[in-house]
Amino acid sequence: MTRKLNILVVDDDAANAESLAELFQMDDHRVIIAYDGQQAVEAFSLNKVDVGFFDVMMPNKNGVDSFMEIKAEHPEARIYFMTGYSADDLIQKAVAGGALGVFSKPVDLSRLLKAVESEAA
Amino acid sequence: MTEQSNHPGRGRLRDPEVLLSILDKLPSSIFVKDEDLNFVYSNDLHCAMIGQSEGALLGKCDADFYPEENAKAFLANDRAVIDSGKTSIVEENAISAAGVTTPVLTRKARLDAPDGKTYLIGSNTDLTEIKKREDQYKVLTETVPVGIVQIREDGHIVFSNPLFIAYCGGDVSGDAGLRVIEKLQETHPHFPGQACRFETDIQGLGGEPRAVIVISSGWLRVGGDVRSAIISVVDVSAMTELRRVNAEISRLNRELAENVKKLKEAQDELIKKGKMEQLGQLTATVAHELRNPLGAVRTSAYLLERKLKNHNLGVEAQFERINNGINRCDNTITQLLDFSRTRSLNCQLGNFDEWLAQIIQDEVPKLPASVTVTLSLGLDDAHIPFDPARLQRAVVNLLSNASEAMVGVAGGSKVMTGDHRLSVSTKRDGGGIAISFSDNGPGMSPDVLQRIREPLFTTKSFGTGLGIPAVEQIVVQHGGRLDVTSAPGEGATFVIWLPDEQKHDAA
Repeated sequence: MTRKLNILVVDDDAANAESLAELFQMDDHRVIIAYDGQQAVEAFSLNKVDVGFFDVMMPNKNGVDSFMEIKAEHPEARIYFMTGYSADDLIQKAVAGGALGVFSKPVDLSRLLKAVESEAA
Repeated sequence: MTEQSNHPGRGRLRDPEVLLSILDKLPSSIFVKDEDLNFVYSNDLHCAMIGQSEGALLGKCDADFYPEENAKAFLANDRAVIDSGKTSIVEENAISAAGVTTPVLTRKARLDAPDGKTYLIGSNTDLTEIKKREDQYKVLTETVPVGIVQIREDGHIVFSNPLFIAYCGGDVSGDAGLRVIEKLQETHPHFPGQACRFETDIQGLGGEPRAVIVISSGWLRVGGDVRSAIISVVDVSAMTELRRVNAEISRLNRELAENVKKLKEAQDELIKKGKMEQLGQLTATVAHELRNPLGAVRTSAYLLERKLKNHNLGVEAQFERINNGINRCDNTITQLLDFSRTRSLNCQLGNFDEWLAQIIQDEVPKLPASVTVTLSLGLDDAHIPFDPARLQRAVVNLLSNASEAMVGVAGGSKVMTGDHRLSVSTKRDGGGIAISFSDNGPGMSPDVLQRIREPLFTTKSFGTGLGIPAVEQIVVQHGGRLDVTSAPGEGATFVIWLPDEQKHDAA
């Protein structure tokens, strides 16, 4: 039996964020949605988040900057990135800062679900 | 005298009138003085030279007509001839009563005449013309821009003009001249005896070396018994310099043309780079804007598929088309990004064979099942610098290009079954490595082969025509090159060559 996770989905593209949320909810995980980097930081401080899936390019605060901020507060935070094209410098910064992996958009769902599964195991 | 008087010609000239008229017509002035040095005869020309009639002259001496100093000298000379009996030949200036000076060659001799008396006979030859020519000759040899030297066969320098002396370092003693001649003999074996002409360098005492053309007349008889050669030395340093400058200008011209060409190429490259940067930014934006909705479509299709799973609606084929469509869109975006990305490489030193084996292992399952890929690694753990993310795109592009050439894609017209073989191999090659992709597909005509690197060129009914240009772009960014060989019916081979060392320029 896998445990149910609190998953934070961060994406300024609502269709993306919401369809992913629905996907995770189908497997009975609890999902919090943030629509920019700033909301992601706030969501992390207000909720217990088991794993996060962050977009990179977003208004207000990009995914990597909010990730760095969250990591500073919560070094144990487990976060993956999803990106439409590789903003190489940012991605490198995130990986160096302890990101668990990078999915390129459109995300390969079987890989994504495997990642969630391993977090829940 | 007896023998001579028997000569038939002499008999006729015994007439004193005839003799005197002949003497008057001679082109020399002739005079005769007695033992006391008073004139006893003067021909017409002599009278004209002194400016007196014969009557005024006779019985007088030089002191009566010439200034005291001149007269004294003349008379002393006359006396010496009379006393010694030796003929005197001197160049002197005759000054007439009117003060006209004429250069003359004066010959004087003692005559012990048949009448028992002693006379002094003299003649003056007007040297004006000869002197004039001599002056001309002197001016000529002093002003001609040619060094001239006359050297006798016995090695004696007879004459050298001022320029030749200057060429020898200004030494008038002749030794320097001889040394220069000896040097020239070393240069040219037949110099100066045979007529010859050659170019060489000469250097006089402490003088600057100069390029010269030397011309020798060869041995000639120029007066006297000993043969001599006339040697001309023409300074061509200026011409040599001119030739050198000319050659230098030619070289600079060629260099300039080459530089202009390079500049044009650099300019073209810059324009291309500028355009590529624009294209890169545009593509990145479009990629971002397309991939987000594609993601939403993919996730939504997945959700829909899951929700409808147990309802037996027979929509599996529709879902497959949706997913294939998403994949094709994604591939097109990826190819556009591959082609337009001009960011500098992020090279790392890596075990190339190991890296390639991993890529092949990951990518082969994505190819149609009918494609068999064989991998032959020959780099023995060689580490080379490369950008793994970028080079992976090149490898993936070549794999899918070969696969599509052999099999076609879903919905294409090519046969999905058959013996489709793709062989990937690595080996060391020159100062780098070669990664070869050989397929047994239909191959390409020379026409297609020639255009395969052109962006947007495609033989497929689908595709961007950016796959191969993207591969080439990535490989060239690595300082390598892409070679393609193919013939219709014989498959195709793409070879990526990468250097062992990266050049650290703006890639």
